[in-house]
Amino acid sequence: MLPRNFKTAAFSALLLAGSAALVAFSVYLLSLDKQIRDRFAGARWQLPAQVYASPTELYPGLSLGRPSLQRELDRLGYRAVPELQGPGTYTDGKGQLQLQTRSFRFWDSTQPSLQLGVKWAEDGAVIEVYDLEAGAPRDIVRLDPMLIGSIYPKQGEDRVLVKLEEVPDLMPKGLIAVEDRSFNHHLGVSPKAILRASIANMRAGHVVQGGSTLTQQLVKNFFLNSKQTWQRKINEAFMAVLLELHYSKKEILEAYLNEVHLGQDGNRAVHGFGLGAQFYFKKPLGELRAHEVALLAGIVKGPSYYNPRRNPKRALERRNLVLGVFRDEGLITEPEYEAAIKQPLGVAGAQGGAERYPAFVELVKRQLRGQYHDDDLVSEGLRIFTTLEPRAQEALERRIVEQLPLIEKGRRLKPDTLQAAGVVTSVDGGDVLALVAGREVRYAGFNRALDSRRSIGSLAKPFVYLTGLMHPDRFGVSTLLPDEPIEVKAAGAKPWAPQNYDRELHGPQPLSNALAQSYNLPTVYLGLQVGAKAVRDTLVAAGYSGDAPALPSMFLGAVDASPLEVAQMYGTLAANGYQAPLSSIREVQTKDGQPLSRFPIKLRQTLPEGPVYLLNWTLQGVLTYGTARAAYSVLPGNRAFAGKTGTTDDYRDSWFAGFGAERVAVVWVGRDDNKSTGLSGANGALPIWSRVMNDIEARGLDLIPPGDVEEQLVDTVSGLRADEACQTGRMLPFIRGYAPQEYAPCAAAAEQGPMQWLKDIFE
Amino acid sequence: MQFRVLILSCALILGACATQQGKREAVWPWPEPPSGQPARPAPHLPSEPIPGMPSPIPPGGPQPIPTEPQVTLPPVPAPPPNVPRSAEAISGQAVSSLVKQARAQRAAGQPAQAQALLERAQRIEPRNYFIWSALAQSHLDQKNFDQAESLAQKSNSLARGNVYVELENWKTIRASRTARGDAAGAQRAQERVDAIQQALGGG
Repeated sequence: MLPRNFKTAAFSALLLAGSAALVAFSVYLLSLDKQIRDRFAGARWQLPAQVYASPTELYPGLSLGRPSLQRELDRLGYRAVPELQGPGTYTDGKGQLQLQTRSFRFWDSTQPSLQLGVKWAEDGAVIEVYDLEAGAPRDIVRLDPMLIGSIYPKQGEDRVLVKLEEVPDLMPKGLIAVEDRSFNHHLGVSPKAILRASIANMRAGHVVQGGSTLTQQLVKNFFLNSKQTWQRKINEAFMAVLLELHYSKKEILEAYLNEVHLGQDGNRAVHGFGLGAQFYFKKPLGELRAHEVALLAGIVKGPSYYNPRRNPKRALERRNLVLGVFRDEGLITEPEYEAAIKQPLGVAGAQGGAERYPAFVELVKRQLRGQYHDDDLVSEGLRIFTTLEPRAQEALERRIVEQLPLIEKGRRLKPDTLQAAGVVTSVDGGDVLALVAGREVRYAGFNRALDSRRSIGSLAKPFVYLTGLMHPDRFGVSTLLPDEPIEVKAAGAKPWAPQNYDRELHGPQPLSNALAQSYNLPTVYLGLQVGAKAVRDTLVAAGYSGDAPALPSMFLGAVDASPLEVAQMYGTLAANGYQAPLSSIREVQTKDGQPLSRFPIKLRQTLPEGPVYLLNWTLQGVLTYGTARAAYSVLPGNRAFAGKTGTTDDYRDSWFAGFGAERVAVVWVGRDDNKSTGLSGANGALPIWSRVMNDIEARGLDLIPPGDVEEQLVDTVSGLRADEACQTGRMLPFIRGYAPQEYAPCAAAAEQGPMQWLKDIFE
Repeated sequence: MQFRVLILSCALILGACATQQGKREAVWPWPEPPSGQPARPAPHLPSEPIPGMPSPIPPGGPQPIPTEPQVTLPPVPAPPPNVPRSAEAISGQAVSSLVKQARAQRAAGQPAQAQALLERAQRIEPRNYFIWSALAQSHLDQKNFDQAESLAQKSNSLARGNVYVELENWKTIRASRTARGDAAGAQRAQERVDAIQQALGGG
């Protein structure tokens, strides 16, 4: 028998120890509580910015053929159905195509879901857009824009937030049926569920059910990066209970729907069913049908094991098993089940992931940097409306991917040695419509379109000629330039003696011909006449931002620029000297659809209109009879384009930059190690450029002379004024007041003698 | 975090009142300095003048851009009767509809909304000078005077002598210059306005 006071002491000690344990446990619980609550609040707050393409506008007169619209709808994840079945469906009927748009909150207004009938004219242009519900034609409607990517934080969690109300009923109910049948009753953990799961799994012979509740899974997803130890599991169980104490079932379910890990795309982690629907089916969650919901619900169990793109067979089995649970639980009927299991997986191709255009999204990010805090971009769920035109982007990607192997094969180059980059922009507004950074178009690696500054070679020549044409008293399009050897000497340096590419001399050349044929010697002559500094000023006025020294070597392309910068420079030419700074963003909205900022078209006249007109007129010759005449084997002959080939020393870089009335495109082909490719601008970049321009149905130049330009008949032999008597007369543009007045020998008027000038004055 | 939330809330509240203008130039993503690529050394050559070459044009680079002649203006000829007078005369159905909506937004004191509609129209008909003219006005409404003038000049350049649109553009230019304190420039614009109005019959 123990002494009484010993008992008391033991009891006290026990009580003390117990209290201490209780305190420790409380502290432990409190710390867990704080962790889980912070994480829960954080998860509801951290939303990557969503990046949208430019929406397609539908209106009478739009030149978008029926197959192209269908392609557009497929790209947006619209489903072809025999009869319209809600938003995101279309019916390819006789005479017209019917579609039901998705409602969308645009920057300026919300457009509700519309049922439309679209009809085409004989020439393939849209002739009518009819509102089927209103029973009236519409002037113009927008399709919902394609979600092309998001700006997510470095640790890679990407998601598209959904609210429980927007989620089709089957999704949460199906999840509960498959993952946690007692969800609506348990307190975060469910011993019964664990037991039942074990029995079910034993019966099936393999794992068909998990024992942890949705709440536990949510907690587990919150701390996915930590290792899964026993201590973690215990922590998670307590945290699950704590979550249930703080939040309603609805809140927990909604958080689960947005948090659960559903797959991996490079270093981007796909979280939540909103992004999951986009990632796997490229459509909103609300439009998923039973078999698609079942696939997503099935993937939860093991996103990599059941990856439908890599393990389609396994994923299909899992989906059908889930569909069986849906049927058994009465969530779908027997006929629905029968129909659903016959469906293919229906997963969008590798292109289906939301990260479709990483190179373009990189440009968007850079433009936003400085205006928005990096943390806000990845956490505030901003909606960013960009200038990307999916049709142009697709054409540029397709042609680069298709042509590079053909060029390699045709020139007997080692496969996969060439690289390429390209940009398509709009002429007057400066919108970047398409951007490709390399032949692996889905790979967000080195962005050649933005960061690869290479010598632009002969792409610099037009700016030499433009500088000359800005002095109309000395140079016009028909001015003869000598094609003779030139040696530029400088103290302390080797003399520079440039040669023509063909190493020949061609005799005096009219200015327009010298540029069309890209002759080096007349170019250097002209450049020296106006001076390297003046040429440099012209380059800068066009949009060149580098710091190349003002040296004569600049006339032949000792100027480094990225493809995007070249697009800016040629864009200024295309817009008659009005420079619109290139932009990839139009508007930014908050996550609730409130307008935040606009990026309006901006412009400034940086080059004089008349000389630019003369230059563009000359640059047409590059394609009609000059170094790029191969372009018209692809492009229709009735459309005028202006452009320039660029080839650099030792054939390292092959460029083509050119434009029509509304589109500028720039293509670069070369090697990453800067070795020779043996390609000139005409046989590397040009085939890609001309095919892209043809694919996007680029409109030809208008070439209506501005007020300060006049046209006059000129004898192409002498460069003097011609009249009807001349066989060699051609209408040429001149800055008003600078057309040649002296008649050519061939002209009938030439015989009238030296008093002609006096007559001219009085005319 | 809380600070950011606060900042963002402020931004949202402000955003609800007036939309900010996104900057195009200031954030332009010119590439980072080249890396990993061998830079080709430029040959060491002198800048101008080059001995032994024909003397270059006097230094000073390209001449200033001739925006408008400073000489006395010739009288504006009376326009031929078929010159289009409003956007509707040269625009398709879709653009007419957008321009009409933009007018309504402008009248309702929503120049940013009007601008967004006009830019949609501009993308459909990029060289429609009536759209550029209205865009210039939307910039004027928002006190972006430089842009108002630039866009009005662009409209003039595309208008190829359409005096009706030029009249509107010169009024926009006059207002922009006045607002910027450029009295002489505003006076020159006023002379243009007067000359066109005279040609139109006293306007």
